[in-house]
Amino acid sequence: MKDFMMIFIGADYQELGLSPEQLQERMGKWFAWNEKMMSQGIVKSGDALVPHVKRVSGPKRTVTDAPLIEGKELIGGYYIVQAENADAVVKIAEDYPDYDLDGTVEIREVMVFEQ
Amino acid sequence: MEHKIVDHLFRHHYGKMVAILTRFFGLSYIETIEDAVQDTFIKASSQWRNKIPDNPEAWLNRVAKNRTIDILRSIQAEKNRNLTISTGASSLQIDELFLDHEVADSQLRMIFVACHPNLHPNEQIAFALKTISGFSTKEIASALLTKEDTIVKRLTRAKKSIGENNIQFKYPNPEAVHDRMIQVMEVIYLTFNEGFHSTNQDRLIKEDLCGEAIRLCQLLLKKEQFRSGSLYALFALLCFHTARLESKISTDNQIVNLKDQNRTKWYFSLIKMGNSAMQKAVEYEDTSVYHYEAAIASEHLNAKTFEETNWKKISYWYEQLYAFEPNSFTLLNHATVCIQLSDFEKTLRLLNSIDVSDLGQRAYLYYGCYAEYYVQIGEKELAISFLDKALMKTTNRLEREFMIRKREGLLG
Repeated sequence: MKDFMMIFIGADYQELGLSPEQLQERMGKWFAWNEKMMSQGIVKSGDALVPHVKRVSGPKRTVTDAPLIEGKELIGGYYIVQAENADAVVKIAEDYPDYDLDGTVEIREVMVFEQ
Repeated sequence: MEHKIVDHLFRHHYGKMVAILTRFFGLSYIETIEDAVQDTFIKASSQWRNKIPDNPEAWLNRVAKNRTIDILRSIQAEKNRNLTISTGASSLQIDELFLDHEVADSQLRMIFVACHPNLHPNEQIAFALKTISGFSTKEIASALLTKEDTIVKRLTRAKKSIGENNIQFKYPNPEAVHDRMIQVMEVIYLTFNEGFHSTNQDRLIKEDLCGEAIRLCQLLLKKEQFRSGSLYALFALLCFHTARLESKISTDNQIVNLKDQNRTKWYFSLIKMGNSAMQKAVEYEDTSVYHYEAAIASEHLNAKTFEETNWKKISYWYEQLYAFEPNSFTLLNHATVCIQLSDFEKTLRLLNSIDVSDLGQRAYLYYGCYAEYYVQIGEKELAISFLDKALMKTTNRLEREFMIRKREGLLG
């Protein structure tokens, strides 16, 4: 078993101006997905991220508050799951609820260092 | 997988929170308030993904209270002066506003603001759907079959008008209640009609609009000072119509004629609620179009089968309704009843007296009725040409499919 990170990009609810009804519906879908993964015992951790971004860059460690990141590039959250291989995670990611809002899932294997 | 949150919790809670916070801060802060409340739900939608709180409503209330205090602080900071109310006192006041009866009270005030005579009727509905019912501008646009831009403009104008006229977050004066209630009922009725008759393709939006209209009516009926025969009659009418909302559309999402509706699918608990509201309505002295329309709807529901419908009685009620308040829709409906009574002479007379421009988006119903008239008197070709006219007047997929099936029947 390996660890994989599913990174959720785009589909910023705030920017999309979803209504309370739509937000409840989305929430229900995420909840169901989470329940499903939990019952399979594959989730190690996961969080949603606040859309406010602070960026530090360059040799001078320049701090940019709220850099202009387009909603479709914003990382909204992540899950770390255990799976046999990346293809198995692709299968898991099929249930990600926000594809219809142009959201994307990026799957990355967590690197393991030799002891 | 099921989760334990009641349907529409966010939507209904949105209206509650906006009303409570507006009562606390005043209408001039409504935009800040709406943003803050919206933010609460965005937060909930990500925070509840992994675990839904044991008491979702209490969670939302708590967050809203905290937001209230945040807003209070930022307003005070903006004004750059000291807090006029100490935080202790204000949080006590805030707590009180979250009590059930106070919540209902705040929402009723919002209804009266939405129906203020200084707002244009178009703005009233948009404002009510936004602030009371928690619809997004996109949803309102879709519900009212308008562009989102137009809705945004209406909302802006409504808010501007509230500011310019210094409209207060209050009930109208006792002597003004009667007149204002007429407007309130009109807005509820229109909201319902948008849902029930609308040419909207989205079934969910239709159901939500009807549900909201009923909820607002119930809210008003809770307070003695707003009750009247008209309000009870309106409530009865909405119950009667909603009772057969589901059977109006078949499982494969096609419109079902009243004739072919599965009457066992009607909601009898709603019919019962409507009947008892009707009994209350007649205890008051006032009469309204809602009385007549409820009487007509009730007559339809009384018939166990389409064939058993008492068309004579319905025709009588339409006659009464028209005498009470002349209206082109009444004429059109009456004409369809006359077809059932095989009184084709009267059907034609009624149809010819209608000014089709009065019917707006529902003009297709008028042409549809002509078509049916010609079917009945055996003029197939004329019937088809009127169906074609009707088809040109609506974009609603369900209505179109219904008419196309009818047209094919005539050709075959």
